Amino acid sequence: MPAQTVLRQITDRFTSVIQRTDIPEDGRLFLYTEPQALREICRYVFRDLDARYVISIGLDDRPASGKFMVAHNFAFDREHVLCSILCYLPGNPPRVDSIADLVPAANWAEREFRDLVGIEPVGHPYPKRLVLPDGWPDGVHPLRRDYPWDAVPPDYDENRTFDFDRPPEGCMVVPFGPFHPTLDEPAHFRLFVDGEVVRGCEYRGFMVHRAIEKLGDSVLTYNEIPMAAERICGICGCVHNVAYAQAVEQAAAITPPPRARYIRTIMLEIERLHSHLLWVGLGCHILGFDTLFMQCFRIREPIMWIAEKISGNRKTYALCVIGGVRWNITPALRDELRRVLTTLEQEWRAVADAVAGDRNIQKRTRDVGVADAALVKDMGLIGPVARAAGVDIDTRRDHPYAAYGEMEFAVVTQKSGDVWARLLVRVFEVFESIKIIRQCLDHMNEGPLQTPIQDELPIARVGLSSVEAPRGEAHHFVITGENNRPRRWRVRAPTYQNLQGVPAMIRDQQIADMTISLGSIDPCFSCTDRMEVLDIRSGVARIFSQEELLRLARDGTRAQ
Amino acid sequence: MDSNLGLRFLSGVMNVVLVLLLAPLCEGILRKVTAKVQSRQGPPIRQPYYDLLKLLGKEDIESGESPAMQRFAAWLSLAAILTVALLVPMGTVPPLSGGADAYLLIYLLTLCGISTMLAAFAAGSTYSLVGMSREMMSVMTLEPLLAVAIVIGAVHVRSLRLDAVLSGSAYGEAAAPLAGVLMLGVAILAFQAFVGRLPFDIAEAETELMEGSLIEYSGPKLALFKFTQMAKLVVYGALVVSLFAPWGHALPAPLNLAMLLLKLLVLVLVVTLVAATHARYRIDQALRYYAGLLGASMVALLLALYGY
Repeated sequence: MPAQTVLRQITDRFTSVIQRTDIPEDGRLFLYTEPQALREICRYVFRDLDARYVISIGLDDRPASGKFMVAHNFAFDREHVLCSILCYLPGNPPRVDSIADLVPAANWAEREFRDLVGIEPVGHPYPKRLVLPDGWPDGVHPLRRDYPWDAVPPDYDENRTFDFDRPPEGCMVVPFGPFHPTLDEPAHFRLFVDGEVVRGCEYRGFMVHRAIEKLGDSVLTYNEIPMAAERICGICGCVHNVAYAQAVEQAAAITPPPRARYIRTIMLEIERLHSHLLWVGLGCHILGFDTLFMQCFRIREPIMWIAEKISGNRKTYALCVIGGVRWNITPALRDELRRVLTTLEQEWRAVADAVAGDRNIQKRTRDVGVADAALVKDMGLIGPVARAAGVDIDTRRDHPYAAYGEMEFAVVTQKSGDVWARLLVRVFEVFESIKIIRQCLDHMNEGPLQTPIQDELPIARVGLSSVEAPRGEAHHFVITGENNRPRRWRVRAPTYQNLQGVPAMIRDQQIADMTISLGSIDPCFSCTDRMEVLDIRSGVARIFSQEELLRLARDGTRAQ
Repeated sequence: MDSNLGLRFLSGVMNVVLVLLLAPLCEGILRKVTAKVQSRQGPPIRQPYYDLLKLLGKEDIESGESPAMQRFAAWLSLAAILTVALLVPMGTVPPLSGGADAYLLIYLLTLCGISTMLAAFAAGSTYSLVGMSREMMSVMTLEPLLAVAIVIGAVHVRSLRLDAVLSGSAYGEAAAPLAGVLMLGVAILAFQAFVGRLPFDIAEAETELMEGSLIEYSGPKLALFKFTQMAKLVVYGALVVSLFAPWGHALPAPLNLAMLLLKLLVLVLVVTLVAATHARYRIDQALRYYAGLLGASMVALLLALYGY
């Protein structure tokens, strides 16, 4: 068993400090360690065993154990193991040795649990506020269990401004966002520009937090969360819906019936189809090539319709419940889906040929926004960004879920790691998705859609689930809890890691390449911003105060 | 000359009216054809007229660093392009060309670019300043091309008088009009850039600079700038036609006008198709492209000097 092998490699070196290990199923490994050994174990796992960093989670476990907890998740892609290294932290305020200097990809995740749970990452190279809004008082941590889900701190100061870094000598600051035609959602990059060349940037995001994780562990119940999870993202929502359901199913050892696993696969691939078509269109739009943008959207439309026929919605399919799915694919739908795929394949073949031979697009995308394999490793980059750099990872193959274990498909990779390579990866993945859906339709048998669940779900069990979203691996971490809801649910959307690679990708590039470089990771800011309490940007001169604006907005809603 | 004064005055008014009426129509055709290429329905051909009227009717918002300068820049851009319209033959006698020389034309064309830069500078936003610097780089490499084209004409006719230069002079009397043909190629390749359309709309670059130079403009001022952009297509078109494709200019005025409209339509279609099938160039790529054209035009100039 590969999980055993990995475990042995770790325990051989760290026997004395590992408190407990758990292998609930093949492909999942949980290690509980002493806090003082955490840093060294992570270094060993990340560098010596060459595991991929996934995410770090901070949680307030005081109601159960009286302690805070930190978990660092890693993926052994070749060995097909997802691993979580957990650690109880004594003391209040809790402190943990930072791993961000050893594992650069952990930079945001540690700052996030510093903001939200109040766990101090000691020795963090850049311990700056990340998630909480500018006006949020220091020392108030909304994701702690004793903090009510709907509370706004009384000393919230809407006039407090964010303390931005100083630009380097001789550089002008070009603000990119919060609102910009190529940003579909608010995010703020301060570009430090020397002439037309970007020398660096600072990112300030997390502007549309919706308290989804907090709601998940304090308001919603197990089967309500999939609907909220789906709303994390406007494009790849089904990914989160499935990933959450799978995480809970793994924790509670529930197996969904085969037909449900096929239907999940089909819907996930339908989602990838429409997302990749959307991205190729938007990428062309960013480059000013609107003709291909329009053609992509025309080709994409039938996919949206078939999704609506299956689920009742173009997007936001509300597919999963714990233990199964809610929608069936009837014989009529199956035949129509086949027809849609046939047309799509023909039309996409034409687009692929046109794109692959287009010198003009290559001129704007070759050697632009390069993320090489070293950056992929350090920042934990995933999905098409990693595959474009020749890093052969795909959750569907490496950590099979739903029905992917039975599917035959190729993992598309490229070498150069630039925008052009990412474009090609996405263009050709469309054909693989079509292949996967056809295999599902061929092999799917009649059968139940849900596994009945009679008992309460067991508590304090940990579940990990990774799903290959169109943008890369979406990762959900769940600890089951009391009152029919999880004790902690942590979502790591692909953009969370990929966005951290962007500053290195745009350094010393022209401003004109900034938009397509950022666009090429297919950024999804709402996914990244899923966390925590309301936020309205503060600072800058305004006519309305925050309260007035809120009141106006609410009155406007009520009037309708 | 005096006997022609009335006629020239009339044709001057006609030219301005023609540009005013024709520019939105060309834009409308461009949009409609683009839409067809993109499998879209597209707006009605008369939509640009409505757009301009709507913008003109909006509140004139003063946003930017120096409003007076911004207003001036908006008027300057339109005034410059309409003045150029007075110098270029459009189906009738060129109204002012007898009294002007080729330099004036070059100055006025440069003034169009300068008014955009002025607009960007006066607005003072970061994006408009980046747009301005791109516009400046483009103007500095593009305007010499037009100047060379006109000078080649001047060399051939041995005169800087506009009416002489603007009558298909590019080919001169040479048996093998190498200079003219080479310059025609250059002009065709540069035309997209002259009129500031994709892939050369780098100074506006909606998805990078959010309209760059024009970012702070709305309402009537934006209408003037938009109109200048549309008029550029007609005026530069007429200029290229009279330099390189004057066939039919000796015909009676109505036929001559019809010929001009036909040629303009062809140009608009070419511009549309090029714009619809290209991604925007980066400024450095565009500058390299312009530099290549500039080199070719210099060769053409040398050929012209030696009588080819």
